[in-house]
Amino acid sequence: MLARLVKYRWQYMMILPGVVLLFLFSYVPMFGIQIAFRDFRIGTSMWESPWVGWDNFSFLKEPQFWVVVQNTLWISAFKFIFGFPAPILLALMINEIRSSIFKRFVQSVSYLPHFFSWIVVAYILQAFLTMDGGMVNDMIQKSGGEPIFFLGSTEWFRPMVIGSSLWKETGWNTILYLAAITTIDPQLYEAAKVEGAGKWAQIRYITLPGILPTISIVLILSIPSLITVGMDQIYPLMNTANMAVADVLDTYVLRNGLQQGYFSIATAVGLLSSVISLILVLVTNQISRKMNGEGLW
Amino acid sequence: MGVMRSRSERWAQVVLIVVMLLICASVIYPFLYMLAISLNEGADAAKGGVYLWPRSFTLANYEIVLGNEVIRHAYLVTIARTILGTLSSLLITLLAAYGLSYKRLPFRAPIMTYILITMLFSGGLIPLYIQLNHLGLLNTFWVFIIPGMFSVWNMFVMLKFVNGIPEALIESAELDGSGPFRVLFSIVVPLSKPMLAALGLFTAVGHWNDWFAGAFYVTDQQLIPVQTFLQQLLSASDISAVIGSNTNQEALARDSAMQNITLMSIKMAVVMVSTLPILCVYPFLQKYFVKGVLIGSVKG
Repeated sequence: MLARLVKYRWQYMMILPGVVLLFLFSYVPMFGIQIAFRDFRIGTSMWESPWVGWDNFSFLKEPQFWVVVQNTLWISAFKFIFGFPAPILLALMINEIRSSIFKRFVQSVSYLPHFFSWIVVAYILQAFLTMDGGMVNDMIQKSGGEPIFFLGSTEWFRPMVIGSSLWKETGWNTILYLAAITTIDPQLYEAAKVEGAGKWAQIRYITLPGILPTISIVLILSIPSLITVGMDQIYPLMNTANMAVADVLDTYVLRNGLQQGYFSIATAVGLLSSVISLILVLVTNQISRKMNGEGLW
Repeated sequence: MGVMRSRSERWAQVVLIVVMLLICASVIYPFLYMLAISLNEGADAAKGGVYLWPRSFTLANYEIVLGNEVIRHAYLVTIARTILGTLSSLLITLLAAYGLSYKRLPFRAPIMTYILITMLFSGGLIPLYIQLNHLGLLNTFWVFIIPGMFSVWNMFVMLKFVNGIPEALIESAELDGSGPFRVLFSIVVPLSKPMLAALGLFTAVGHWNDWFAGAFYVTDQQLIPVQTFLQQLLSASDISAVIGSNTNQEALARDSAMQNITLMSIKMAVVMVSTLPILCVYPFLQKYFVKGVLIGSVKG
């Protein structure tokens, strides 16, 4: 055994840095979860903080926390309802473009927003929606309406979040579907044309069934992300005026923990959402095993 | 019958092209709009109506933005972290992937499980923050680099790719007496260039776009990257709250009074300055990105 370990010493050396990094930045924080059950103050040692049992989970009794849970679920539900079918639809449309140059142009342009940060997206929203000469309010006023304070409105927050995430990711998410479409046997379309099938029939009976396996994989893989709605996107758009609908689990942890210093409580909330997402991943793995005959790993 | 179908299909094609053009416009137009405002006098743009072309053209916004120490410094931080972060992450992740590609490696299975667990469960933000504090990484440049140096997801993609390299190639090199490091850099790396390019680009974009670490892991304004600067400016109520030292502020206040500069016009100039590099390199790199998605999506 020792001889084999020595034989592979270089391989172990290669793996070592990664293993150490995971230990430092994944495993140590996992052990750090214990502060959810301790009364921890920054500057003291976590091991010396007194145990307090489930005291830090008292947020479960606060109505404010359940509002945050609801906000999270609303945003993730809307994102799913619009964000899941949109790339399928766009991929089907791109696939029907006859000119291959135009097709490539559309693809390139629609992938582009994926590469901008959510901060830049927030700037774009601000540029269009601001009350100081922003285009949308400018047009509302010119047509005789009252300007709307979109950026600080509870009604417009969700449409803004959903709309901007559609803008940013729909094009990029077509890549897998377009790749799946190219693997469909062209003879199927030829045969369908001979049979007199029109475009709609071809999409309905050949293209859609052809990408169904991809659709089901994407569907399954989107389950674990149901609870994380993207703090990167929400946080830049959040302000005191729209907080009532904008505050989600991730921002709740951020505010209580890093900004107000309630480390133990924030860790408890974080633990709760980590556990839920672990359950979602495990469920997803089971579903994948049943449907595709193999798990995620 | 045939004529009718081709006619209706021709109409469908026209509608399709119009819809596609609208979608493309929705992507491109915001940048033209922001560009127009950034090239317009701020006070004038605030009156509205600048949609496509600057009405009273000025470069003053860009002069202030490009002449500002804080922004220039933020740019240097972003460039440094993108280059260093990407190269170090590719190296460390590739080393681990190659080491683990030896199927007969003793304890390979437990090491893989050890790695996989971190994908399923995490300690969360606060325990990570406490650990970063404990290691003395908070408020240093290295907090941008070290925690992200090993990417589990990229390692699995690389592992799958390396496993696809014919074993005969590697074995013959080993028979010639090359050690694993030699084999890695003389055979595996040259064969993996497209994969490394794709993963490297994704990592680089991640670094370029990250504002979170700069906003919460550092407090020293000398250490913030461009995206964090943008994030601070986004919610600022006046220009001086974000930009520059006292002397700069005075100069800026004087300038803005003189040249009708508003917070909005400065914001638009800053956002253009931060996105232009991506807009410029994107057309040349797009094919690597697409390849990267497809490499990562096929399960191994």
